[in-house]
Amino acid sequence: VIPHRRRRGSRESPQFQPDQAQTAASQETIMTVISRRTVLTGAAATGAASAVGAVNVPIAAIADDQADLQTFIEISAALTGIDVKKLVPFLDPIDIKQTYFNKAQKDSAFNDLLDRWRKRPVGSDAGVLLKDPDPVRYLARNIMIAWYLGAWCDPAELAKYDGPNPPPGPPPTTVITAVAYTQGWAWRAAQAHPMGYSDLRFGYWADRPFTLEDLTGVA
Amino acid sequence: MCADKTYDVVIVGSGISGVLIAHELGRAGKQVLILEAGAPLPHDINDYLNRFYSNAAKVPEIPYTPELFTKDGKSLVDFGTVNAGRPTVLSLAAKGNQLGDWTDPKKSYLVQVGKLPFASTSERINGGTVRHWLGTSFRFLPNDFEMSTRYGKFIDWPIRYDTGPADLRLKPWYDKAEHAIGVSADVKDQEYLGLTFDGPYPMPAIPLSLGDKRISDDLAGFTHDGVELKVRSTPAGRNSQPYQDRRVCAGNTNCIPICPIGAKYDPSVTLAKALRTGNVEIWYRTVACDVVIGENNRVSQIKYLQYQDDVGPQTGSGAVSAKMYVVAGHAIETPRLLLMSRDRQGVANSSKMVGKNLMDHPLYLAWALMPEGKEVFPYRGPLSTAGIEDLRDGPFRKTRAAFRIEIGNEGWNFPIGDPATTTLDFINGSNASQLNDTQPKPQPLFGTALLKKLNSVFIRQFRLGFLVEQEPETRNQVALSTKYTDGLGLPRPEITYDLSDYTKRGFAEAKALATAIFHKLGAKEYTRQAADDPSQFEWPVGSKELIKYYGAGHIVGTYCMGTHSNNSVVNADQRSWDHDNLYLVGSGTFPTVATGNPTLTIAALSLRTADKLIKALN
Repeated sequence: VIPHRRRRGSRESPQFQPDQAQTAASQETIMTVISRRTVLTGAAATGAASAVGAVNVPIAAIADDQADLQTFIEISAALTGIDVKKLVPFLDPIDIKQTYFNKAQKDSAFNDLLDRWRKRPVGSDAGVLLKDPDPVRYLARNIMIAWYLGAWCDPAELAKYDGPNPPPGPPPTTVITAVAYTQGWAWRAAQAHPMGYSDLRFGYWADRPFTLEDLTGVA
Repeated sequence: MCADKTYDVVIVGSGISGVLIAHELGRAGKQVLILEAGAPLPHDINDYLNRFYSNAAKVPEIPYTPELFTKDGKSLVDFGTVNAGRPTVLSLAAKGNQLGDWTDPKKSYLVQVGKLPFASTSERINGGTVRHWLGTSFRFLPNDFEMSTRYGKFIDWPIRYDTGPADLRLKPWYDKAEHAIGVSADVKDQEYLGLTFDGPYPMPAIPLSLGDKRISDDLAGFTHDGVELKVRSTPAGRNSQPYQDRRVCAGNTNCIPICPIGAKYDPSVTLAKALRTGNVEIWYRTVACDVVIGENNRVSQIKYLQYQDDVGPQTGSGAVSAKMYVVAGHAIETPRLLLMSRDRQGVANSSKMVGKNLMDHPLYLAWALMPEGKEVFPYRGPLSTAGIEDLRDGPFRKTRAAFRIEIGNEGWNFPIGDPATTTLDFINGSNASQLNDTQPKPQPLFGTALLKKLNSVFIRQFRLGFLVEQEPETRNQVALSTKYTDGLGLPRPEITYDLSDYTKRGFAEAKALATAIFHKLGAKEYTRQAADDPSQFEWPVGSKELIKYYGAGHIVGTYCMGTHSNNSVVNADQRSWDHDNLYLVGSGTFPTVATGNPTLTIAALSLRTADKLIKALN
């Protein structure tokens, strides 16, 4: 209990800024990344995990992954319009960003997406990811769908909306995980909560909701 | 399990009528066995919640078993293989549709052979269909019981609200039912169209939502047929105070399909109390398949089949005996069981009325967007907290169907599956919602423009649901399929369904009134339906104009109560005219669907029947 409290205390101190939290290569962060990569890449990463025990950490791989995650978060905020401090809060026990990062990493356009963002002209917005009807555009749209709805689409289904006969209805979606549904930002865009997932109290619906700015950081 | 034991009463079904009767009998020291076709309550409610959260199709049936989809999630399970199948709204799509096809018995549990699809669904699981109810707990109006006397339409009930012989008045049983369920409402808001009360509701009303208040304010003075339309709070089987050891409603906006915190009543609450009497047993995954008639035309036993897996082999069979029998399988499974008994010759059917007069409380849905600056802030609070009830009765009932109007708190979730559909539109540059109407073609958005656009439309969305009283007609029926069986080899229900002109005139009135209300509110209407939707009809005939109806989930009328054995299946006590020790309960006994949601009346009639049963056993 005591180390846990101390850790919380130190993170909540003014010296410890959220941005540092994203990049700090503390032992704790490394462990987290390793365990998630283990899930992600299977047998090869299992070797890496055992290497931790041997204090022979493939630091370069971990640093790359951290950098990619950081870029993914920047892209996510630019695409969704939601303030990054709200999208990826400093205290983030649910850590849904990692679920979406893992999902996006499996898309064949992932590296191109990161590249295009990193090499974008100064001052340009997420429009650079949405310009051409190419795989990067559909991955970018899927990232928005993930954050807003906790869902994902087959990129081929999304491409149909750029074709000569766009479908009349919405594309078929798959809910990424049960937790992802409960973290959808479409509900906060409505100044509400996910249907079936709320920690508000009796009678709140008779009063005005939180403002959009309270919820998303956007006035 | 003790198959040799003789019970006082065997009850088929653990829905609201079955468990209320079981609880009353158990309290009176009677030995009761419940046969439930479906699965028990999971140890962890999250089994249900996770199925709801992780499935894209948020339909009323989705949290519950048996599974609706094949293992790959891409198609509906073949209901011919499911041991205790059930209808789903996913089966209601047009002929030839890849997922559901209402005409294809491989994709629809109900074998639908009528002109129109029967669009309501039911559950076969502990707690029955009330698992996915909204909680709406209206008393029927005095005139609902006397349609023939008052308006020369339909048939009178053998029971009244508060007139006639004391034993045949439902009013005191409504009061007991409201306490058994735990209804939140204020009497002063419910005294209209002849309804009177003897005491307060168990809990105060659920507060109105911001949308209710906005509509109430902006509709002030609006009249229809000379009646001022007043927004009233809706009586709800949902806690506004701690009640029955259950929590207060926290407004999860998810009454249908599942309240995550148990603030909404469901029959598992009463079932647990019944089991705690020590006199009630329940056997799950036990499907009653034959009501056996013995000496003196009395039921001598009920035969059953058992299974372990939803799709898998039969694992057992047997028969149970009791002094009295109650079939509480709801308005599709109860007539199915009666008709398949005695080698398909049927029981309790000297009137030939078993399965006839199938009714729904079909719903006209209309939706609109309030003007800027007149937000209603939906997706908050219980799914519905208010409605307009003043048109439930009037002289117009001589010529067209009456309706009540439910005001939704869930934006356009019911009409178009929002917030998902609109979000996908503005991300992809499509326009399924009709809200991305940039010319010449819909535009995709991103960044703060996307967020602000979504916010601007979501906070102004609302919908109205008009629940229309369907005319009883013998041509609308549940029969046995001669061709299609379920996983246990039992004949599936075959449904014939249509809407009469009287009912359709009620819909036409609802449609016109919805548009008038939106006009008065300054709201822009977006109501529309897909061209190939099978659940719609042309009105006026020859006009090419189509009106869509939705199922209300109010399945009614297939073993009606009446005053004589030649025109009804049961008497006012819900006892079979043909078999002294057989009771048939649930909304199947309703002679008419009436103008309120049916559950409270089901509960009131069940408690009255329980009283009759106890007296008969003593």
